[in-house]
Amino acid sequence: MKPVKRIAVGFDGSPDAEAAVRWAMTLAKQIDAEVVVVHAVGLLEHAAGGGVARLEKAAAELARECGIEPAQVQWHVGDGDPCSVLVRAGTGDPVAADLLVVGSRGRGAHAGLLLGSTSHELAEHSVVPLVIVPVGRAGR
Amino acid sequence: MILVVGGPVGQAEHEDEGHPERPERVAAVMAGVDDLHLGTDLHMVAPYEAETAQLTRVHDSGYLEELAAFCQAGGGDLDPDTYAKPDSWTAARRAAGAGLATVDALRRGAGDVALVAVRPPGHHALSDRAMGFCLLNNIAISAAALVADGERVLIVDWDVHHGNGTQAIFWDDPNVLYVSTHQWPLFPGSGAATEIGGPNALGRTVNLPLPAGATGDVVRQAIEEVALPAIDDFDPTWVLVSAGFDAHRADPLAELALSSGDFADLARMVASYAPRTGRLVLFLEGGYDLGALRKSVTTTLGSLLGALYQCEYPTFGGPGTEMVHRARGQRREALHRAWQLTPSERRVR
Repeated sequence: MKPVKRIAVGFDGSPDAEAAVRWAMTLAKQIDAEVVVVHAVGLLEHAAGGGVARLEKAAAELARECGIEPAQVQWHVGDGDPCSVLVRAGTGDPVAADLLVVGSRGRGAHAGLLLGSTSHELAEHSVVPLVIVPVGRAGR
Repeated sequence: MILVVGGPVGQAEHEDEGHPERPERVAAVMAGVDDLHLGTDLHMVAPYEAETAQLTRVHDSGYLEELAAFCQAGGGDLDPDTYAKPDSWTAARRAAGAGLATVDALRRGAGDVALVAVRPPGHHALSDRAMGFCLLNNIAISAAALVADGERVLIVDWDVHHGNGTQAIFWDDPNVLYVSTHQWPLFPGSGAATEIGGPNALGRTVNLPLPAGATGDVVRQAIEEVALPAIDDFDPTWVLVSAGFDAHRADPLAELALSSGDFADLARMVASYAPRTGRLVLFLEGGYDLGALRKSVTTTLGSLLGALYQCEYPTFGGPGTEMVHRARGQRREALHRAWQLTPSERRVR
C-alpha cells in the first residue's frame, strides 16, 4: 500500500465539509502528512466572484482550531464541478493526493438520494482511496 | 434557403428563480429567429420526448432512472450549478427529442440549415452525471443516432465553456470528430490541447483553449490553423454545432470578447465543412445575456441563410495568438507520443 503523504480534502464551506477538513487535519497531524484543501469553482461561483477568499479564510481558521499553522496547509482552487475537481486532485499535478477526504453531503445534494451526492460519485470515480466523513464526526 | 427550427423547448417546466439558465433564454432565441422575418422560409419541427433507447446510446440507463426518480421526488440541486424540477425530466427528454426530430426533418429535405432551440442545454452532461446546467447531452444524442446510421459527424463546440460531456462520450469513437474553442482556464477545467482522443480515436478530439479577452479573429485562427487539418482528414458527412453564445463580450458568465458579427463569420466557416446544404444543425447551449443572445442568433442564422440582418462588427486584436501556437505544438507532440505506443499501451494510458 502506498504511504499517505498528501491528503486532499474537499471544502465548499458547508458544515459537512468543515467536518471533513477537521478530520483530515487531525489525521494529517497523526501521520505527519500534508493537507491540501481543495475548492471547486463552478459556473455560478465564477460569475458571482468573491467567494474563494472567504472560504480560504475559513479553511485557515479550521487549521488553527486543529492546532496546525495555516501556512502549512495548502489551498487549491480548481475550475469545475466538485467531483471532477476532486478526481483530478487524486490523479496528478498539481495536487497529486494519496488520499481524498470529503463530507458525506455537500451543498448540492439532497439527503436520502444518491444523485447529486459528490461523495457517492467520488466513490465511483476516484483513483485513490477515499474517506467519507459522516455528519457530526468532526475531529473524532 | 429554408431554416428548420426544432422546438422551442424549455419554458416554465424547467426554471429555478434567479438562475441564469432560465426560460427567457429560449424566448430570446425565438425572438432572434423572428427578427429575420423568414415567412414561409421558416419550417418549425415539433419536438417529442426522446425514447429510452435513443438516450441510452450515450447515457447510462441507471443514471436515467435516477434522474427520472429525482425529478419525480420533487427535484432539487444536483450540484452547486445544476438544478432539476419535477417537470425537468420531461423537458430534458423533449429537448433531446427536438434534436432527433430536427435531424430527421433535414434528412427528409425539409430545409437547408437547422437550429435546435431548446433548454436545458446539454454539452456538459456526462453519460452518468448531470453538471454545468445540463441534464441530458442533446447534441451527443443526435450525433449518436447519426453514427448508428453510418454517418461521420463533426461536432464544433463554440460555447465559451469546454463541452466535457460531449468529449467524454465520443472520446474513443472514430466516427465523431469533436472540435472545441473555449476560454481556459475556466469551468469545467477540461479541454487542454493535449486531450486528443482515446486509443481508437486518436486525433478525433481537438481542443483549442483561449485566454480571457480573446477576440473573434483568434477563434477563427485557432480553427483554421489547428483544427482544419483534422476536419479535412475526417471528411464529415454531417456537421453539428454546440452553439453557445456565451463567448459574446456581454455575457456575464465568462470573459471572451466576441461580438455577434463574429458568430456570423464562424457560422459561415463551419458551414463550409458540411458536404452539402441540409447537413448543418446548430444546438443551443449557453448564452446568458438575453440581448446578446438574440442578436447573435439573428446574425448567425442570417449569415447562413443569406438573409438580411444587422450585426456588430467582428472583433480583432485580442490576446491568444501565442496560445493557439502553443496548442498546435502540444497537440502535435501528444499525437506523436501516442502514435509511438503500441495499441495495447495506448489503451493502458
